[in-house]
Amino acid sequence: MTPALQAIGITRRFPGVLANDRVDFELERGQIHALLGENGAGKSTLMNILYGLCQPDSGEIRVNGRPVKIASPHDAIAQGIGMVHQHFMLAPPLTVAENIMLGQELKAGPTRVLGGLAVLDRRTASRRIRELSHQYGLDVDPDACVKDLPVGAQQRVEIVKALYSAADILILDEPTAVLTPQEADELFVIMRGLAKQGKSIVFITHKLREVFAVSDRISVMRAGQMVGSLAPAEATREKLAEMMVGRKVILAIDKAPAHPRQPLLEVEALRVADDRQHMSVDGVSFHVRAGEILGVAGVQGNGQTELAEALTGLRKAVSGHIRMGGRDVTRATTRHLIESGVAHVPEDRQKHGLVLSFSVRDNLVLCAYYKPPCARGIALQFPIIEEHARNLVRLFDVRTPGTATPVGSLSGGNQQKVIVARELSRLLSHQADPAGPPPILIASQPTRGLDVGSIEFIHRQLIQARDQGAAVLLISAELDEIMTLSDRIAVMYKGRILDTLDAATATREHLGLLMAGVLRGDDAGEHAQPAQQITHGDVKAS
Amino acid sequence: MVGGFFQQSSVYMPLLAIVTAFVLGGVVIWVTSGSLDTVFLAYEGLLRGALFKNRGLSESLVATIPYIMLSLGIAVGFKAGLFNIGVEGQFYIGAVAAAWMGASLQGVPAIIHLPLTVLAGAIGGAIWAAIPGFLKARTGAHEVITTIMMNYIAFRLTEFLISGPLRDPNAAAVQTPRIAPGAELWSLYAVPERLQDPLNALLVALIVAGVGFVMARWALPRLARRQRDEGRAALLNSALAQAGVGVVAGLLAFAALPALTRLWWPFTDQYDRLHTGLFVALAASVGVWWLLWKTTIGFELRTVGANPSAARYAGMSITRNIMLGMSISGALAGMAGMMEVLGVSICRCLPLFFSSGYGFDAIAISLLARNDPLGILLSSFLFGAMRNGADLMELTSGVSKYIISLLQALLLLFVAAPPIVRWLYRLRAPGGREESATVTRGWGGQA
Repeated sequence: MTPALQAIGITRRFPGVLANDRVDFELERGQIHALLGENGAGKSTLMNILYGLCQPDSGEIRVNGRPVKIASPHDAIAQGIGMVHQHFMLAPPLTVAENIMLGQELKAGPTRVLGGLAVLDRRTASRRIRELSHQYGLDVDPDACVKDLPVGAQQRVEIVKALYSAADILILDEPTAVLTPQEADELFVIMRGLAKQGKSIVFITHKLREVFAVSDRISVMRAGQMVGSLAPAEATREKLAEMMVGRKVILAIDKAPAHPRQPLLEVEALRVADDRQHMSVDGVSFHVRAGEILGVAGVQGNGQTELAEALTGLRKAVSGHIRMGGRDVTRATTRHLIESGVAHVPEDRQKHGLVLSFSVRDNLVLCAYYKPPCARGIALQFPIIEEHARNLVRLFDVRTPGTATPVGSLSGGNQQKVIVARELSRLLSHQADPAGPPPILIASQPTRGLDVGSIEFIHRQLIQARDQGAAVLLISAELDEIMTLSDRIAVMYKGRILDTLDAATATREHLGLLMAGVLRGDDAGEHAQPAQQITHGDVKAS
Repeated sequence: MVGGFFQQSSVYMPLLAIVTAFVLGGVVIWVTSGSLDTVFLAYEGLLRGALFKNRGLSESLVATIPYIMLSLGIAVGFKAGLFNIGVEGQFYIGAVAAAWMGASLQGVPAIIHLPLTVLAGAIGGAIWAAIPGFLKARTGAHEVITTIMMNYIAFRLTEFLISGPLRDPNAAAVQTPRIAPGAELWSLYAVPERLQDPLNALLVALIVAGVGFVMARWALPRLARRQRDEGRAALLNSALAQAGVGVVAGLLAFAALPALTRLWWPFTDQYDRLHTGLFVALAASVGVWWLLWKTTIGFELRTVGANPSAARYAGMSITRNIMLGMSISGALAGMAGMMEVLGVSICRCLPLFFSSGYGFDAIAISLLARNDPLGILLSSFLFGAMRNGADLMELTSGVSKYIISLLQALLLLFVAAPPIVRWLYRLRAPGGREESATVTRGWGGQA
């Protein structure tokens, strides 16, 4: 049987990097083919070439055995290739049917010609969407507004959109990044169904667990090259990780039991409003003790962002209290909090953590540039800033050509290392001084989108900070990360902490149900109810 | 990693843009006049008018001075993420403030009056720019809109002040009173004469001593690092040595300058309008460079400009930096207006029909220079020379001097859209993403 899609000897060079180096890739009909690799391994480049978003310098693409030239996404769609991007390409105010018709409205089918004017034929389109949705078990309502749909449903709309344009080959780019474990499982069922009906699927991911759950074949890329291709039966997690990173990786972090001491960070009935004045954090209480990691699990958008912003002075609390080292800091400014011992690894490293056009050196002093020894009066002390940068680059293993290199040109993993270096070095300098400020680390999604090697490194750093007596609040949407690192796990859902579990006894299933809001914690009821009443009163008052 | 000076895209791209603009402008002249000779005649006239005719160079420099100040102002704004289109208005307010301060004191020596008047111009511009800054910081009103509006208010306010409260009752024309001699920015021609007054010589000596001190602070530690002998190195590093250099430089200036400045008399005449504001502009561009790249203030401004979210996360105050960035930007623009009154205007006053158009050219200049202070010096001179040479070009070739505006527009187009130039010369895009000149961030995205 000829493969549905074949890439032979694809080479693509970008200035300074060989993004694809003679890559061969073969997708059998009706197969789910997982493509694994670290960030920057060349997966995206390869898929962009297959989808016509960029052109190979050399190499050949065959669809059903015939050589084809794919110069644009338009050509790709004509060849029956569809792509679901990691960030959805949907227009939120439009309905599902309108979104699916986008870009095809001028073709026969969705358009009727009425007295010289082309008119959108919504009814026919809706009917076809219903048929497709039914055939592949996708459960998509063509008349719903996209902005009202949950993330999982939006993803299904993207899949229907690809199927609508008669795609036989689907490329799913990190489709589970935005889903809960349960939603991911539903997606896998859909993918299985699609494959059974003859669709071929490329599934890009960096989560090893998912590869085993769904794929028929696994290919691994590293540094622009195809390292190997194997059946799931021949593979183990350790083997795949080694193929991705190019060396042995210790997946399970061995961490000593925690020795928690006095609480350093205490939060009491905290309520925080988001930009639309909606109570994103709605009566949250918890504490983090010195020498422990409290993990906050939850699907993104359940108030974790606002919680972290409130704890770092970026967003003012509506009510409640935050205490650090016993002192009330509810109304403190960001700079005050930085000086009183809070280290913050923000959720979006490129937007909030770094100035991409600045050098590594300048980014490393982003929180300390204004005081000695970095500055004398208003004059910056460059020799000291440079020495500081050299030390941290070495200590935190930041792979950079030099300290003057713009941070934006580093890989994601190294960018995150720059932030971690900046924040943890501050923490360490505090710890050296027993009378100094309490060491508190707030880490939001510290390893999102990073490669296995960097994740391993950053995880070790977090554990090390804990062992040296820091109170660590770890906010993450990756359940695996929360379960590996935390000593206690709090689950956040719709602005509340539903339950706080002991990490040693918590199970993935239990956490998943809490994250989905299906299960409520034992103590959630009594906390949640009064908080809700206050909410309404305050919103009206303000 | 050798990469010569001309291999940096920040150098060759503007140069290619200039060449392309002139070639394309030549084509326009050729087509409209119907003769290729006119093209060469026009450009020859432009060059002669800008540099080689009598007082050509110094008139080009006279126009360069306000360009430098205004584009420095715009550059500071850009670096802080602010698109200050209102430099023209701040220029007017600076001019009015300086005209008022210059005329309201009489008989005060330059050593007091001149700094006061300079300060008045700077503060006037700063306040005028701080208003849109405040509006942006507090309400999120986009500075592009508010500064344009502030321009019109400034034009009409200036007219009102000149024809009303500040009008010179004794003059036939509608204008402000002539400023006191003590507030005048000396023309270079008049410097030797001015230095006859010991107080004036003292003022110059103090300025030279200050410059000497700053340069010693910069240079001596670098010299000390090369010294093997520790005693000598310590001496070079000491504050005493730095102060000593300053004092010596000041004393030398006091003693020798009046004689030295006579040396340039053969090259100038009493109609030469080039004034000491040239030194102010040069000092300002060094100052802006130092402020932006070597100080904590510049670090904050640039951080807020490059990524306001990251600045906030690092504990910087966005509000404070927007206000500060706008104020510095406005102060530089106000000083440009101040110098037009104190140094250039023939009546040494502010006439009613006072218009410049400098402010809008300055936007193009700072774009061409990519907000780099050294680049601003060069680009300002290019624009100053074109402005000055245009008259002779029109006279000798019959080509309308408004072709200069066309050239500048083409220039701006090529600078703002590097892909056009790259496509023309088959150049590959450099790897970095900081390439394209970011004019401004989205409308009202962040407050």
